[in-house]
Amino acid sequence: MTENYESSEEKKSSLTPLIIAGGLAILFFGLVVYIPLAIGGAVVLAIGVFILFRDSVEGKFADLKESVEEKWPLEFLSKRKLGVWIFLLSEILIFGSLIIAYTFVRFSSISWPVATQVHNVTLGMINTIVLLTSSLAIIFAFVSIRMGNIKGLKIGLFSTFGLGVAFLVIKLGIEWPAYYRNGFTISSGLPGSTYFVLTGLHACHVAGGLVAVGYLIVRTYQGGFTKTNHSAVENIGLYWHFVDIVWMFLFPLFYLI
Amino acid sequence: MHGMKFYVGIWAGLVAATVIEVVTRSIPGTFAVISVIILLISSGKAVTIAMYFQHLRYENKSLALLPIAAVLGVIILAVAAWMSMAM
Repeated sequence: MTENYESSEEKKSSLTPLIIAGGLAILFFGLVVYIPLAIGGAVVLAIGVFILFRDSVEGKFADLKESVEEKWPLEFLSKRKLGVWIFLLSEILIFGSLIIAYTFVRFSSISWPVATQVHNVTLGMINTIVLLTSSLAIIFAFVSIRMGNIKGLKIGLFSTFGLGVAFLVIKLGIEWPAYYRNGFTISSGLPGSTYFVLTGLHACHVAGGLVAVGYLIVRTYQGGFTKTNHSAVENIGLYWHFVDIVWMFLFPLFYLI
Repeated sequence: MHGMKFYVGIWAGLVAATVIEVVTRSIPGTFAVISVIILLISSGKAVTIAMYFQHLRYENKSLALLPIAAVLGVIILAVAAWMSMAM
């Protein structure tokens, strides 16, 4: 449904972004100064995400159209897709900065453990293939819904979700405990702290992607996607592929070099 | 928009590149040379995912400005970091 901003004051006003941003700020501030505060931040964040999810399911994000069209180089993009790309831009800067910091620390250190003596290359390679396959699965979901194939969409989304879970199980359930048993921990020195911070942040992004894919699954069962209305599948796919791209750099930097 | 056969081909290429990366680790050569080869393969994989899975190849070229601007920012950070280390 298309409406003018002037006639839809109620729809365009939402405190949800502020709640989510506030929750994140409290969470990270708490992680630095006081853990119980971080838990409080996580609760606020969860409430914000829940409200966002509920509003989306209830269809409160009906497209609004400005009365005066903007003229600028990216006007061919839908606002949601543009939002996703701007979000990915910020993500490139976050991961790029951390990866640069890692290489800076590593190559300015006098000694650094050989990658293969610390990390399990086989598990790293399996995880890389798992993540690549999950990207293929979400592409399958997208191609399917473009053809109006709901069954294919479901298969693609469930496969993506399952492969994302498999990645986290291998990473957090098998690799990390083995490292801790061998004394390679987040506080055992720079090699450990850089590894756990970078792969931990990446795992958080995979977990966030799983929440997003879970949302797509719920919407699919509610009949939310059709041959012509499936932008959420494409946009969440863009994010999922980005998480894949980040791992394409983390894997060689930690496991091979 | 391509069919699944095309995307499966891209995926197979990415998996093959991953195996080549792992094998490259054990070929004779200096640490620097092997590292550069592996990172070039990784960069190729990342670009391939962006071009074909994220469909940047088929989008309006203006859209590419966003990721390029971000990568440029990262390169500036890298240069600044390495310059500070060299000083």
